[in-house]
Amino acid sequence: MPQTSSHWLPLALVAVAAMLWRGEGLGARPMHADEANQAVKAGELLESGRYAYDPRDHHGPVLYYAVLPVAWIRGERTLAGLDEVTVRLVPAIAGAACVILLGLLAAPLGRWPSLAAAAFMASSPPVLYYSRYFIQETLLVAFTLAAFLCARRWWERGGAAWAAAAGACLGLMLATKESAPVFAACALLALAAAGPLPARPAHARGGLAALACLGAALAVAALFYSSFGSHPAGLRDALGSWRPAAARVLSGDTGHEKPWWYYLRLFAWQRSGGLTFEQAGFGALALAGAGIALSGGPGLLRWAAAYSGLVLLVLSATPYKTPWLAVNLVPGFALLAAGALAALARDRFGAAVAGAAALAVVAMLALQADRAARVYASDPRNPYAYVHSAPDVLKFRPLAEWALARTPGGPVRVISEEYWPLPWYLRGLGNVGYWNSPPEACDGAMVVASADLAGAVRARLHGPYDQAYLGLRPGFVLVVFTPRR
Amino acid sequence: MLRLLTAIIALASVCAVRAEEMVPLKLDLPKPLFVGTPRPIKVSNLEPAQVGTPPPFMVPAGTVLLSLNKPATSSDSSPVIGELTCVTDGDKSGIEGSYVELGPGVQWVQVDLGAPARLAAIAVWHFHAEARVYHAVVVQLSNDPDFKAAVTTVFNNDDTNADGLGKGSDYAYVETYRGRVIDAKGVTARYVRLYSDGNTSDELNHYTEVEVYGRPVN
Repeated sequence: MPQTSSHWLPLALVAVAAMLWRGEGLGARPMHADEANQAVKAGELLESGRYAYDPRDHHGPVLYYAVLPVAWIRGERTLAGLDEVTVRLVPAIAGAACVILLGLLAAPLGRWPSLAAAAFMASSPPVLYYSRYFIQETLLVAFTLAAFLCARRWWERGGAAWAAAAGACLGLMLATKESAPVFAACALLALAAAGPLPARPAHARGGLAALACLGAALAVAALFYSSFGSHPAGLRDALGSWRPAAARVLSGDTGHEKPWWYYLRLFAWQRSGGLTFEQAGFGALALAGAGIALSGGPGLLRWAAAYSGLVLLVLSATPYKTPWLAVNLVPGFALLAAGALAALARDRFGAAVAGAAALAVVAMLALQADRAARVYASDPRNPYAYVHSAPDVLKFRPLAEWALARTPGGPVRVISEEYWPLPWYLRGLGNVGYWNSPPEACDGAMVVASADLAGAVRARLHGPYDQAYLGLRPGFVLVVFTPRR
Repeated sequence: MLRLLTAIIALASVCAVRAEEMVPLKLDLPKPLFVGTPRPIKVSNLEPAQVGTPPPFMVPAGTVLLSLNKPATSSDSSPVIGELTCVTDGDKSGIEGSYVELGPGVQWVQVDLGAPARLAAIAVWHFHAEARVYHAVVVQLSNDPDFKAAVTTVFNNDDTNADGLGKGSDYAYVETYRGRVIDAKGVTARYVRLYSDGNTSDELNHYTEVEVYGRPVN
């Protein structure tokens, strides 16, 4: 087998397997409130062609625009026509791309260690889970890895095109999520901490490359934030978004505050309600890789150790913590784990041990990932199913359709302090309204009220109503009123 | 003449029942597990939020707990979390290890009392660590372990016939540490079967404890 094929074919197979795993049964899990909110925004863009960056409640524009080609290919043109599979294919494709990109980034570690790094990425529980979840994280990681690769290519080969490509990836990072500069800064600091870099080609001109990189980054970010020129105010909003976003995250008053060891525990072991989720083998291998890096391992490993350490430090020191941010730690940890395997495989016996260790860790990760992403996908004991919607939310659409068939004029009223993801499930139905407190007139074809507001709503209903109880999420019960016939 | 005789016998039976001494059912309640105050649901077909001690459930004198450590079976014969012994082991604490988790969708557990008994009450704790409502709760009694003959339904809040046992009109209720006490209406039965179809938090079915109270026949 030619060397190129023997390198590419296994990596391509891992990536194909990763894509199939990420794309299987994408519509099964109920939509999380955040997914639903962003899917409605993407659907509005799809339907109207209009998008305006919202610096208060949403991240960057890339996620919404990325839905468009997938929706067009699948023949969807409206918000009502958009479905869960379409929107979740976007992070799924990005998640599969991460596998290839990490495999390429790990190439200096050797053919099989780089394949192991890709396999760790493919079977990582948080990466699989959030590759099937319509949020920005896997896109951000994919653009970050692509930026690292392009930057390394420029360093190795020179040429402003690679620098511009790295800049374009940086621009996509910036237009994906406000936290992008943190990872870019960590990568640069890690370069300084990793020690001497290999020499650059003589023709590589740093000044021109920096200009190309910066120009491409700003151009790409500006295109997205200005809605491709149709909403210039988005540029101003984007520039003004970082300070309030940082203040909010650092304020310690968001409801997402967790102890400093939160991410470490995710990569170790945790048990809740009889279910155990662990990545201890992977975590131990990454730790071993960090140890090798500190004792003077290869340059890539030293950089990965510094990058992972910095990212872990920043994420752990920030009071605001959510499980999807753990996805940003996986590439560095996978490189370290692969580096540990490479160090182990110095002779035939070591290679056998390293191979067995790699297979065992990948198998354990895959088992855990499957439990997290499929078996217990919306279970509150799953550390990645964060404040997740209850499966009951899937019942609202057929119930509303039945109610509107009985009373065609509607309305369907949702009266609750919190109601996402219901607007996603009730999209396209006529005469549906949402209130945070009971309006004067509460009667309707179907009235959904939170437990706290149900008494006040009931007092404003005229005539007999039947009542049912459906969950919005664990511990949050909604009361559904329908006129009694 | 026959009608008159029948009426006299019926009247005598009623009087005998009324004359039966009734005493409060004493339940050994676990500690509440809610952190903070659960959200009250103040609507007409849901039990009002209880303030203070609720009125006692009255049962005939001589009623005893019949189900402790009796065998339990289930539609899910190999639960992932917990054992079926949790259903009747007397541990109502609600913490990890005290409940059994059955799979998604419609599932049942069944308690075999060992012999027919005249049943007064069934108390059930599904899962009381958070505010949730179990869907399609149905409780049936029978002397047939397969529940094919002479089945009496004593509770049914399955308003959509999800369990396939017919629609019921009993109220849905929020799980708390107080559990739910169901009137067994003096039915004589050996087996008690409880159905549910997931809950407002997930699709799974849980049983922390089922207690069956009554008096042995003979």
